Amino acid sequence: MPTTEKTIVLTRFDPDKDETPRKQEYQVPCEPSWKVLDAVNFIKDELDSTISYRWSCRMAVCGSCGMMVNGEPKLTCKAALDEYGSRVEIEPLANFPIVRDLVVELDGFMHKFESVKPWIIRAKERAADMENLNEKGTYSQSTEELADFKQFSMCINCMLCYSACPVVANEPEFLGPAAIALGHRYNLDNRDEGTEERHEIFRGEGTVFSCSYANECSEVCPKNVDPAAAINQAKFGAVIDWAKGLVLPRGGSN
Amino acid sequence: MGAAHPEAMAPPKPGRTRTAPPQMPSTWWSAPRIRTYLLFDATGFIYFLVGFHAIHMIRALGEGPEAWQAVMSSLSHPLYILFHVVALASVIFVAVRFFRLFPKAQPPSIGPAKPPPGNVIHAMLYVVWIGITLVMSLALSGVIF
Repeated sequence: MPTTEKTIVLTRFDPDKDETPRKQEYQVPCEPSWKVLDAVNFIKDELDSTISYRWSCRMAVCGSCGMMVNGEPKLTCKAALDEYGSRVEIEPLANFPIVRDLVVELDGFMHKFESVKPWIIRAKERAADMENLNEKGTYSQSTEELADFKQFSMCINCMLCYSACPVVANEPEFLGPAAIALGHRYNLDNRDEGTEERHEIFRGEGTVFSCSYANECSEVCPKNVDPAAAINQAKFGAVIDWAKGLVLPRGGSN
Repeated sequence: MGAAHPEAMAPPKPGRTRTAPPQMPSTWWSAPRIRTYLLFDATGFIYFLVGFHAIHMIRALGEGPEAWQAVMSSLSHPLYILFHVVALASVIFVAVRFFRLFPKAQPPSIGPAKPPPGNVIHAMLYVVWIGITLVMSLALSGVIF
């Protein structure tokens, strides 16, 4: 198969040796069918076994191979290499501390995820709940009810949205697109009763109202989750909840 | 089969791994979408100037007919006309962007009611915009009211 030689520029950073990240160039004979990840794998296998990066499924499901490709966050297993020119610059995801080479630190991201309570919250188990259970002992949910949130549950935690977000770049403590989309996904789930708790989190500093609706998160999302829509719907919900608390007894809750 | 590495199951060492601070690609500002977003943000400066100009006009109105006339005649200066053309272009640019992004910010349901599909909301925004512009144009030119 004919190959095209491309210059692949990787960011290198060894925490034991390097003060700051540096660039290293590799000449790679690329096949037409390759994704960007194939070129990085070629470098690892044939040219330089010391490079570090994350990848797993190679089919845009695991969300681990996100990197900056020519300045744009991409899932490297999904980005076709022939869409780029003869020089391709691959960097670790922007807005994340770098652990080594193309590997970024996830601690802050995981903490943000946890903070939106991404699980179904039931206020309390009631006798009425038992009536809603079907014969299999599970809660019934119609297709329409599922459609309300399904889009927001397709996130693969690839973190491209955090890398693209100009607010995260300026305000690293911003809760961020994927975490808010996940919280909003549970708020829209008809089995969940934790909306008020999450809206209280969303009304806090550095959450939904920090978003300036640049829409970059939705532009780069490889699964069309549209986190920008989730954040802005969450803004609406958080304000309505707050207003209900002002005018209705017990905030309108049952 | 070779023996496992002696430290393969060792507990992790205490302390945190040293990390490099987040890096922004050197060309981040040149991506087309980011340039559009920066332009959108920059229009805020135009609105600041428009607001400043409006306050200046209100003050002149309070200072008397001469001051008001002076402000009105200054509006025909080519630089003022250029400024207002830029301000109008900024408003149209921001409105078009807002209309594009607004429909998907609607919640999937408001109580029992479902909002209309996104493209219907998008079209409705343009209809309202054109309607208000038409009414204001007719009112300001004295055709109605």
